[in-house]
Amino acid sequence: MSNEEYLASGVLELYAAGGLTQTERMEVEQRAAASPEIRAALDEACAAMESYAALHAVTPRPSLKNRILSQIESETPTEQTFTSEKGNNVVPFSAPHTEEASPYKWMFAASIVLFLISGMLSYNFYTKWQQAEERLAAVSASEQLMAQNVQNTSLRTQQLQEAISILRDPSYQPVTLEGVAAHPGANMIVYWNSQKQEVYIDEIKLPVAPAGMQYQLWALDDGNPVDAGMIPLEAEKTAGLLKMKPIKSAQAFAVTLEPAGGSVNPTLEQLMVMGKVKA
Amino acid sequence: MSDNTVQKISEEDLVARLRTRDNAAVSLLYDMYSATLYGVILQIVKTEEIAEDVLQEAFVKIWRSFDSYDAQKGRLFTWMINICRNLAIDKIRSKEFRMKVSTDSITPANQAEFTSNTFNPDHIGVREVVEKLSPDQQKIINLMYFEGLTQSEISEEYNIPLGTVKTRARSAVKMLSKLFKGSV
Repeated sequence: MSNEEYLASGVLELYAAGGLTQTERMEVEQRAAASPEIRAALDEACAAMESYAALHAVTPRPSLKNRILSQIESETPTEQTFTSEKGNNVVPFSAPHTEEASPYKWMFAASIVLFLISGMLSYNFYTKWQQAEERLAAVSASEQLMAQNVQNTSLRTQQLQEAISILRDPSYQPVTLEGVAAHPGANMIVYWNSQKQEVYIDEIKLPVAPAGMQYQLWALDDGNPVDAGMIPLEAEKTAGLLKMKPIKSAQAFAVTLEPAGGSVNPTLEQLMVMGKVKA
Repeated sequence: MSDNTVQKISEEDLVARLRTRDNAAVSLLYDMYSATLYGVILQIVKTEEIAEDVLQEAFVKIWRSFDSYDAQKGRLFTWMINICRNLAIDKIRSKEFRMKVSTDSITPANQAEFTSNTFNPDHIGVREVVEKLSPDQQKIINLMYFEGLTQSEISEEYNIPLGTVKTRARSAVKMLSKLFKGSV
């Protein structure tokens, strides 16, 4: 921009009236320092505003002068420290604001540090909590397993005690059922109490029933087969005696293979074991 | 009114004495410029108590940073008034000030007395000058000089095109220049 254009742009008048930013003011000062023509125009505009300012002049209270001069005098010995401000023609506009903000900066920094610390602690505690949860779950699982074992054992013990009490009781008559010719390996024992009409079975050694089939116990009373109950699949796995249906009178017991759920009459072709009650 | 007894020396001599850190020159500087500087500060901050604080701060700053005053770049008064206006404007924009003003609010009557022309018998009066400026020109000049708004801030806040703000400021300063040249 030529000097003429610069003068016509009105920027010097804006400078004088105080309508420019700090940066814009510094530009004007640079141009004024470089060109006497611009400097003269700037001085003229500034002088006009100076006169305008003088119209508003108010003499301060006389005591203010002493207050100011005594502060300046007290500062004089430290004058050397201020020479470093050279080149900084006018005080930066925003300087007081940055000073004002500095305590907030500290507080902001402190809050970030606190936030990070609390984050780290939270993570630490969270992992510890997770580990504790895992251990607790493992412990409670093994405790549950133990309880189940104890329960199983006590159940077995109970079954065995029952079995022993039956075996020791002379009123129960043991009846050994032997395998028929087709099944020589099969056998089983029936304990029968004719007074209490109770029937138990034990020592079941029968071939595994085919799918959909089940063994059925019969009592033979005067040649008529009476249903004495179904033998549960895998019955041989229970420790104790298996209680069957009550039987009033019988001369023999037998087991046949029947469709699952049992039949009304025994299928004699599928007779497995049989034994007579001793008189 | 001490204006008549003020010892006046040339700006060059005053600057030279201040450069040698002559404490007595500060007293001269104060006598020559304090009333004008104080008047402008008072226009900006509106209360005497704050204006006194700002003037004190400004003189301390002028004294401390006098080495950075470059006579090549502008007049001494221009440099000093820039320092005063910056401090005063910073003050009115500070939280502290806004809180204080809201507690003891300024009455229009208070403001009016600052524009009195009784202190300047040698010059033409405020009213006379102001009458030569259009209301638009006065508004722009006062917003800039006494409220500390930049040309773009005025344009935005008062919804005036930036070009118009520039033109009005320029014509106002030109008018003032003409008026004062004619009167001196």
